[in-house]
Amino acid sequence: MIGPLIRKEFLQIRRNAFLPRLIVLFPIIIMCVMPWVMQMEVKNIVVDVVDIDHTVASQRLIQRIAASNYFIFGGQRATYAEALKDIEKGKADIILEICDGRYLIAANAVNGTKGSLGSSYLSQIVAGSDEASYLEEKSWEGSVATLLLYNKHQNYKLFMIPALLAIVMMLMTGFMPTLNIVGEKEAGTIEQINVTPVAKWAFILAKLIPYWLIALFVISVCLLLAWLVYGITPAGHVGLIYLLAMLLAMFFSSLGLIISNYSDTMQQAILVMWFFVVCLLLLSGLFTPTRSMPDWAYATTYVNPMHYFIDGVRTVFIRGGGVVAVAHQLLALAAIGLVTGCWAVMSYRKNS
Amino acid sequence: MYAIEVKNVSKRYKTVQALDDVSFSANKGEVFGLIGPDGAGKTSMYRILCSLLLPDTGSAFVDGWDVVSQMREVRKRVGYMPGKFSLYQDLTVEENLMFFATLFGTTVDEGYDSIRAIYSQIERFKNRRAGALSGGMKQKLALSCALVHSPRVLFLDEPTTGVDPVSRKELWEMLLMLQERGITIMASTPYLDEVRCCGRVAFLDQGKIRGIGAPDEILEQFREVFMPGRPASVIPSLLPSPLSEGNSNLQDEGTNKPARNEAGRETTDPSRTGCMGDGSSVISVSHLVKAFGSFRAVDDISFTVQKGEIFGFLGANGAGKTTAMHILTGLSQPTSGTGKVVGYDIRTEYEQIKRHIGYMSQKFSLYEDLTVAENIHLFAGIYGMKKEEVERKMTELLRQLKFEEHKDDLVGCLPLGWKQKLAFSVSIFHEPGIVFLDEPTGGVDPATRHQFWELIYAAARRGITVFVTTHYMDEAEYCDRISIMVDGKIKAMGTPDELKKEYGQPDIDGVFTLLARQATRSSD
Amino acid sequence: MKTFLSFVLKEAKHILRDRRTMLILFGMPVMLMLLFGYAITTDVKNVRTVVVTAYLSPQTQAAVERLAQSEYFNITQTVATPQEAEQLIRNQRADMAVVFHRDFASKHSGLQFLVDGADPNMAQQWTVFAQQTIATPNTQHSPPDIKLLYNPQMRSAYNFVPAIMGMLLILICAMMTSISIVREKERGNMEVLLVSPVRPLMVIIAKVVPYLMLAFIIHATILLMAHYVLAVPMAGSLFWIIAVSTIYIILALSLGLLISNIAQTQLVALLLSAMVLLMPVVMLSGMIFPVESMPVVLQWLSAVVPPRYYIETMRKLMIMGVGIGSVAKEVCILTGMTLLLLAIALKTFNVRLKE
Repeated sequence: MIGPLIRKEFLQIRRNAFLPRLIVLFPIIIMCVMPWVMQMEVKNIVVDVVDIDHTVASQRLIQRIAASNYFIFGGQRATYAEALKDIEKGKADIILEICDGRYLIAANAVNGTKGSLGSSYLSQIVAGSDEASYLEEKSWEGSVATLLLYNKHQNYKLFMIPALLAIVMMLMTGFMPTLNIVGEKEAGTIEQINVTPVAKWAFILAKLIPYWLIALFVISVCLLLAWLVYGITPAGHVGLIYLLAMLLAMFFSSLGLIISNYSDTMQQAILVMWFFVVCLLLLSGLFTPTRSMPDWAYATTYVNPMHYFIDGVRTVFIRGGGVVAVAHQLLALAAIGLVTGCWAVMSYRKNS
Repeated sequence: MYAIEVKNVSKRYKTVQALDDVSFSANKGEVFGLIGPDGAGKTSMYRILCSLLLPDTGSAFVDGWDVVSQMREVRKRVGYMPGKFSLYQDLTVEENLMFFATLFGTTVDEGYDSIRAIYSQIERFKNRRAGALSGGMKQKLALSCALVHSPRVLFLDEPTTGVDPVSRKELWEMLLMLQERGITIMASTPYLDEVRCCGRVAFLDQGKIRGIGAPDEILEQFREVFMPGRPASVIPSLLPSPLSEGNSNLQDEGTNKPARNEAGRETTDPSRTGCMGDGSSVISVSHLVKAFGSFRAVDDISFTVQKGEIFGFLGANGAGKTTAMHILTGLSQPTSGTGKVVGYDIRTEYEQIKRHIGYMSQKFSLYEDLTVAENIHLFAGIYGMKKEEVERKMTELLRQLKFEEHKDDLVGCLPLGWKQKLAFSVSIFHEPGIVFLDEPTGGVDPATRHQFWELIYAAARRGITVFVTTHYMDEAEYCDRISIMVDGKIKAMGTPDELKKEYGQPDIDGVFTLLARQATRSSD
Repeated sequence: MKTFLSFVLKEAKHILRDRRTMLILFGMPVMLMLLFGYAITTDVKNVRTVVVTAYLSPQTQAAVERLAQSEYFNITQTVATPQEAEQLIRNQRADMAVVFHRDFASKHSGLQFLVDGADPNMAQQWTVFAQQTIATPNTQHSPPDIKLLYNPQMRSAYNFVPAIMGMLLILICAMMTSISIVREKERGNMEVLLVSPVRPLMVIIAKVVPYLMLAFIIHATILLMAHYVLAVPMAGSLFWIIAVSTIYIILALSLGLLISNIAQTQLVALLLSAMVLLMPVVMLSGMIFPVESMPVVLQWLSAVVPPRYYIETMRKLMIMGVGIGSVAKEVCILTGMTLLLLAIALKTFNVRLKE
């Protein structure tokens, strides 16, 4: 019974003027453009220097700032107020004032990360330039070695590519099913299906399976492009990434169908889905670490499949973790996926 | 000066010549009919006259103003009701009407006289959202909205599709009243009785005007289109029932009647199908009620339908036909009452019922983005038919419908009449015990309706019970038995002959009008 | 005028009666504000730290104590070898490890951090914080004074409130307007409206007015919430904040109108506004990802994304409290874009049907 239904879904996707192109082009565009956009890496910070001392040391310091790849030397200003004007106009991000051998760093902290990271980089340079005093100090601070594991070159793309996998999966397997059932409702074909003896689970499953296969295709394209364009390959086993992705697809496609079942118009369905997607995404730890969240927000991550996926896929992709490392995430994703799947079947009503 | 003047208008869409050198004119105060099959170019013509579309060549004038260069003046003077006009579903009936009244610079009170006949029927629902109205009531509201102002020229593109016969008569009475006030009306319709109400008609086919003249002349001239196979002598009256007058001279003249009589299938003839004589009922319901809040859409109905019967389920718009059909097909649960369809309980065993029925709804319900063959495969697959059987039956079906070369065409690209025939064939493809047809021929031209009924007879000959709703009273006469539903109750039931005798009317149309008019009065 | 009012009223009813959409429209800003205000932070907090040491000397103990007492680090475990620590980090049981070598106590050296570098920014910050925490307080070296302007507590809400306004206003104005106009087209109502004696331009303006009001209400909601719930300062002039927002709202409405002129079905309108509009807005406007860090080509591309200028202006006006003179350039660009889009939208508006 389910065979013809699945065939129908595929035919409909193929016949659509837009969907096949979307399925192929979307992951390609996302993978080619987004890693360049999603740079939260702090660089190209413009530093204005207010050098009141005009000593040799301060000149050397300016040279060091200009040479650093984090900073761009914005120019010298005569007074602090003048430099502040630059910040207000958006021409500078940080002011370094050198006065009587003391340093004042004033950073524009509207973007908190940029402000704090920029000022701490700058203070490192300032501290380093004070070589004379620095060498005298017998502090052990200087001898601290930091070993960055997994992402030695601090490549932000390596951090973001697993996140992109998550975003692509979410958009592709979440939004297409959302439009599906509500579209049949608007076209009136759902009534014809409802008077046939087709089982609820068969109808829903037939709608889900094509999206899972699409997810499989999309994830392959993404991994391939990551390798071809950026030379980035997963550190762990590829199979695990596929497994995680399919479990996530199971959740999102079911969620899409649930929303579609409850909605009357496409506009409504899309807005509701969008709301859920934004919330799930922001609370998943994709952009910011979950452990920085307040307790109530952290509590939501226990039921957020996106959180489990991000955690799991980063562990496998970047850190090279094995099955043991992500067992917890796999189980949680499977459980959540199963619950939403059942809900999707239950929320589809053939008889009112 | 003509009220409408069209000179050599042509319009071409990418591959289709919608209008080809069309010229005609209508006098002031005339009711001018524009008739023709689906896709003849009627809608394009209306749009050009309303200044919504620019003609490729030629010119058109409405009330003396050029539709190309004097758009503003034209729009001040015309009223237009497009074919697929839909109301604002989330506004109430009254709000819809008020909005359109203000839009045309008038008020509901001022325009009330011109819409009284129709609007009074839906006025009791004035605080209900338009989306919650039944299909026919929506159409009535749409008509009220279009008629609430008095334009100089009124364009109505198939205004009565899905409207019951009584209301259609009332609408035309109203239109004739408007005509007396000097309003020019141009309308199109698939109903022949309405065509006869026009002063003159133009027959448009494949973008060309084939003839202009008095309705009877045109119907006569092109009778193979409008009265497929009917001899000229029958035209003035409504189509007589092939059943009731099976032995009359008319029938003997031969080719006119749908194929059923040739098979010798008559209600009174027990030998026509093997399983007819045992009197087993396919549907039996008693005291069925469906209430939405305090409104009883279906109010205590009881009836039985015998195996192999063609059962006509008639009723005015909003009488509860579709609701009743939804209960019988297992789409919704009754509020109270019991019933069995193909031997299964409608309350508990609705999934089993679905295994043994076919259904074709008002809304066209095949997948438009699948091909003919793919749709057949899909629905056959859902009913678990064997692959070889599907292939064999499909070839046979396509040959019967003469669809062979369209096997791989997308259903969305087929003309409406073809789609309807296909939808019906698909709904009985799995040989169900009974098939439910909800206004299957709405908006279809007479020739196609004729073919459609031949399909219904063929199905009935195979022993499939047919349960059909329709607003065409000539179709009602084709049924073995009919019931007439008014305000949620079944008011009359029997063979067409019995009913005609009981109510002393010459045809079913008369019976229906009598009953439906009574009901309207009682509900006021 | 009466016709116009009844039009506006009708449109307002459409909006008000779709409860679910209304809920989302007002729930979305509230939810986003709460999330960005409280949940989304890059603060260094609760970093799970493993101590790697063979034996605990008093000095080591003191250093570990300092880490444990700080609000930044949680000492979760003590293991003997760096390999074990690495395994823990790999399995996501820990974020970083502090390795004390055998001679740490005697030589004041031989301290190593093993940091999970998956997120380069956070790794960097953890290291800096850990160094500062472990550093003996009696160090001679005086660090430079650091002053964080405008946002001393580094609250992410400061950064995101203007961004949320930029995104939501364009979403509501452009997407909702275009869909509601296209819906009338799709249902055939547009034909009747066009043929009526009402001027086509008025039909469109009447359709847009309720969405304009909606946009203002949502804008006000965001501003009030930002100020009273999230305690984001309104450093600049309220007049200019509202004035610039009005320009931006008109721009978004013009975009919506433009989309409705192009699209024939709701689905196309939806996809156009979601894919062609929303994606660039979120990605290229500097809302989340700073424009300066992008490759030059994408920076050029972002130059034509209107919200970029709006968000920039709002950040300066609201948070930094600069005068209108400092944002003159952005405001000019925004105004220019508005006029251009409005002109194109009105020019392409069809008083007849497309074929």
